[in-house]
Amino acid sequence: MMRHSSEGSVLGPSTRITGRISGEGALRVEGGIKGDISVSGTAEIVEGASVEGSVHAESLEIAGSLLGDAVTRGPIAVRSGAVVRGDLRGSEISIEPGSRVSVRLDTQVELDLGAPRRR
Amino acid sequence: MAGTVIGEGLSIEGDLSSEEEVVVQGNLRGKLTTTDAVSVGSSAVIEADVSAQSLTIAGQVTGDVTAAERVDLQAGGRLIGDVKASRLTIADGASFKGNVDMDV
Amino acid sequence: MNGSVIGRGTVVRGNVRGSGSLEILGRVEGDVSVNGELVIGEDGAVRGSVSGSHITCSGAVQGDVRGSEAVLLERGARVVGDLTAPRIGVATGALVKGLVRTDGEPALGAARRPATGGARPIAFPARAAAPAPKAEPREESREESGDSEPPEPKAAREAPPPPVVPALAKGAKAKKKRKED
Repeated sequence: MMRHSSEGSVLGPSTRITGRISGEGALRVEGGIKGDISVSGTAEIVEGASVEGSVHAESLEIAGSLLGDAVTRGPIAVRSGAVVRGDLRGSEISIEPGSRVSVRLDTQVELDLGAPRRR
Repeated sequence: MAGTVIGEGLSIEGDLSSEEEVVVQGNLRGKLTTTDAVSVGSSAVIEADVSAQSLTIAGQVTGDVTAAERVDLQAGGRLIGDVKASRLTIADGASFKGNVDMDV
Repeated sequence: MNGSVIGRGTVVRGNVRGSGSLEILGRVEGDVSVNGELVIGEDGAVRGSVSGSHITCSGAVQGDVRGSEAVLLERGARVVGDLTAPRIGVATGALVKGLVRTDGEPALGAARRPATGGARPIAFPARAAAPAPKAEPREESREESGDSEPPEPKAAREAPPPPVVPALAKGAKAKKKRKED
């Protein structure tokens, strides 16, 4: 059920896991997970896959569903068709139109709206 | 091409200040200031003091207007308010109520 | 078609609303509401809530953004506030601090995270676009009361995100000033 590819671990489409997953390298979720994920590499939740729990990873790509918070050092990408609910924190966050989201983004935004211009 | 266009159907309540040409076809209530020209189109309704380099009025303006150069009140235009400008034209068919200061 | 443009050299202090489309290349310090398409250009900036049918933003918004059809943030866009629309796109390189919710999805409930959910003012004092509560817990109590009262002394407001907060006080002053003169 957990197979290793050159890029890391893959949890196949028929795989259902309840519990915590952590490890080195990348993780690709094709099945269903209830529990928190923490990996050192990239994480991917493919179309049709679902994760209920938090995700910590180097980066994250979501085309399936994620109900839970995600924290990455690198980017988080939400693909069209994805369903995501939770807090997302990453270096860069992108959301494709066509996804269904209810997320909180907490990017450090420097708004240089500055002082109003004098007349 | 004017830098700023307040189209018909758009309303601004507040101050608009600019360094470019402003064309108003919609509504503005508050204050309008630019260092460039202002053109008040026939559909425009302005309730504001207007200050500009030059001002052309084909719509309705209620408020005092000041132009560094000139004010042209065109046919169909209506201005209620005082004018301060070195040149002023009021076309046949325009209406105007107010004082004029041509700063001689 | 009436396409309105708030040009690069133009600053509006007050609310902008109406029908038709609008392109903002300058600055608006106030709420913007149009029923047509709304484009906020690269150098465009709005301090206030923004609504339109189809909103494309490459500039800066401090306030909530609501699209009746879509909200698309392009690379370089900066938004401090919540985004809601049936379709939402956030390009890589767009920065958002706030809640992003497509229509029909449940709001991130207070039940789920009692520590951060409850106290946030709902949508309204849009120009107060509260930073995420958990980051600056002091900020929001100030903003809730701040609306009806004169701005507090500048020093007191100068705390966490420096460019944003003092600018708010100035905006408020400008508004007051208009009434006086």
